Amino acid sequence: MSDRDKTEDDTMRQMFDAWEKGQETFLKAQSAAMDTFAKSFENMPNFSENMQKDEAFPAWDSFIKAWVPDWDPNVFTSKSSDMAADFTKTNNAFLAMLEPANWSKFAPAQLRVILQSIADGPKFADLATPQHEAAGTWRETLDYSQAAADMGKVMQEAWVRTYGRFNENYSIEDLKSSEPSDALNAWLEAANHELLETQRSLEFMDAQKRMIRASTEIKARQKDLAEAWSEMYQMPTRTEVEDLTKTVHELRRELRKVKRELQSLKAGM
Amino acid sequence: MKVTEAETDQKLFDEIEAAQEAWSLVWQHMLKTGEQMVKSNGFLGKIKNEDVEIAETPSDVVFEIDKVRLFHYRPLTKIRTDIPPMIICYGLFGRQTMIDLQEDRSLVRNLLMAGIDLYVVDWGNPTRADQYLDFDDYVERYLGSCVEHVYEANDKKPVNLFGICEGGTFAAMLAAFRPELFAGLALAITPIDFHGDQENFWRGEGFLNSWIGNLTQDDINLVIDTHGMLPGEMTGAIFSSLTPIASMTKYNIGLAKMEGNEAMMLNFLRMEKWIADRPDHPGEAARQWLNGLYRENQLVNGEFIICGEKIDLSKINCPVINIYAEQDHIIPVSCSKALSKFVPKKNYEEIGFPGGHVGVFVSRKAQGVVASGLIEWVIRKQGSKAKVKQVKKSIRKV
Repeated sequence: MSDRDKTEDDTMRQMFDAWEKGQETFLKAQSAAMDTFAKSFENMPNFSENMQKDEAFPAWDSFIKAWVPDWDPNVFTSKSSDMAADFTKTNNAFLAMLEPANWSKFAPAQLRVILQSIADGPKFADLATPQHEAAGTWRETLDYSQAAADMGKVMQEAWVRTYGRFNENYSIEDLKSSEPSDALNAWLEAANHELLETQRSLEFMDAQKRMIRASTEIKARQKDLAEAWSEMYQMPTRTEVEDLTKTVHELRRELRKVKRELQSLKAGM
Repeated sequence: MKVTEAETDQKLFDEIEAAQEAWSLVWQHMLKTGEQMVKSNGFLGKIKNEDVEIAETPSDVVFEIDKVRLFHYRPLTKIRTDIPPMIICYGLFGRQTMIDLQEDRSLVRNLLMAGIDLYVVDWGNPTRADQYLDFDDYVERYLGSCVEHVYEANDKKPVNLFGICEGGTFAAMLAAFRPELFAGLALAITPIDFHGDQENFWRGEGFLNSWIGNLTQDDINLVIDTHGMLPGEMTGAIFSSLTPIASMTKYNIGLAKMEGNEAMMLNFLRMEKWIADRPDHPGEAARQWLNGLYRENQLVNGEFIICGEKIDLSKINCPVINIYAEQDHIIPVSCSKALSKFVPKKNYEEIGFPGGHVGVFVSRKAQGVVASGLIEWVIRKQGSKAKVKQVKKSIRKV
């Protein structure tokens, strides 16, 4: 065996050893993880059909807290009554928890911060960074969901107040002594009053502002995607068309100005 | 005092009885409403979109610049030579067809019947190719060119300009920028002071002012930069939300109440056709409208610039009539009336119409108050006084 062959053989052996040790470490780590996993699941509640409705949510709550002590499951219930209903549907509860679509739209603020930091992170000249775009898109979707939920809350409160106002202003006795259409008119009057009052409030206007921002950001992202698609297929992008439109507009404006100057020169001759 | 079991049972019985009674009454009403709705649906089933006709008064295009067209209406009676021609200019948020919605509710026909030589500006249908058009273009280039055309046709004598809503703001700006072109300026439901008297807004008044004021310049720029235009669908949705219950009930309770009445249904459908035809607003002009005027109130502060010159409303030197709607939920009364601060008293008059923004033109009441008020003003200021009574009579006939 030549010296060169010997060196190559050593190198291969070293690589093989490194790979073998890596595998061993990985399997040991997996084994430890599996042990932890199994122990944790010993306390998993039995989400069966036999579980009472009022037991399901507390059981799920304590199970999650065993895994993530700082996690506040109320983040779901305070945001969506549907979520709470899902978690009390016994055997669907665990699957519902694992479904990102169920929780990501009500994700806590830290997720938004993480996504923003990825989107705003440094970009490398020679590496594609699709994660920036993906994180930005996800953050914008979260913002929109949050804005829609906030607006929904403001409007829901307005309707609750409408119901209260109607109850104060109209009773069963009124219904007996008048036309049923008066009841409808009283309801519409109450709704009109409360909705107009709501639309004047700062709460409503701020929710509206966030909705406009969030929905426009999503629209802007769609525009970026459409531009990328146009470039890919050798088609002119919206930005290119708009640059051209602007150039034509400015040229026409200059032409008009020159024409006017010529006219005034002629008039002065 | 202890409540007996019998008393508890009686209370429960009374409540059930009351609920049954209420349910029965409500059912009767629902059945009645259902019958009404069937009649209205029956009418809707028979009619086609093409049967709903608006803006039918005959006219001819006499001038064009880009997408803008100037229509000259054919006379319905002998044209009065003592009154200068009148040009009507609507805004960019809707179409000028509103002033000629139907034969018996048409400002155009009323003016023609009074013998006024009438022109109307149509801004066309702006697309993203027009997104860089701004107030320089709309006020000086487009409206200015239309007015110059009529001025030339009128033997280079001043003409009347009637601006409506945003078109009124354009008209006021042009009257201040080129005062030599005008014999009279009429405005209707026109914002001049875009902040208005916010502390005294009634419930439902001035939502646009408050909502736009709550947005930042960046918010508005984001919308314009992203869409290129201010989309018609967006402005339509905003206008609908200004009167939430009216918008929510017009296609159900409103339609049912008409019980298939042909005249009422056709009035409603004509109005719907006009509302549905809402063009996109060119982006740069919308940016100036929302940021420069609504947010920064540049017009009354003397900071709004057209073609490099600050617009000074006190340069308006012709007679002015300012028509506002007392229950206007889009343009608050105080926003319109602010013009009185800039025009000398001897030149300034107002008509307060007891109705809403669009009612100024399409309601039956408006045909008397607004049309006859405007005609009476034009004749009093520019024509023979003896003909005022005769003209009022002709309006009632229309």
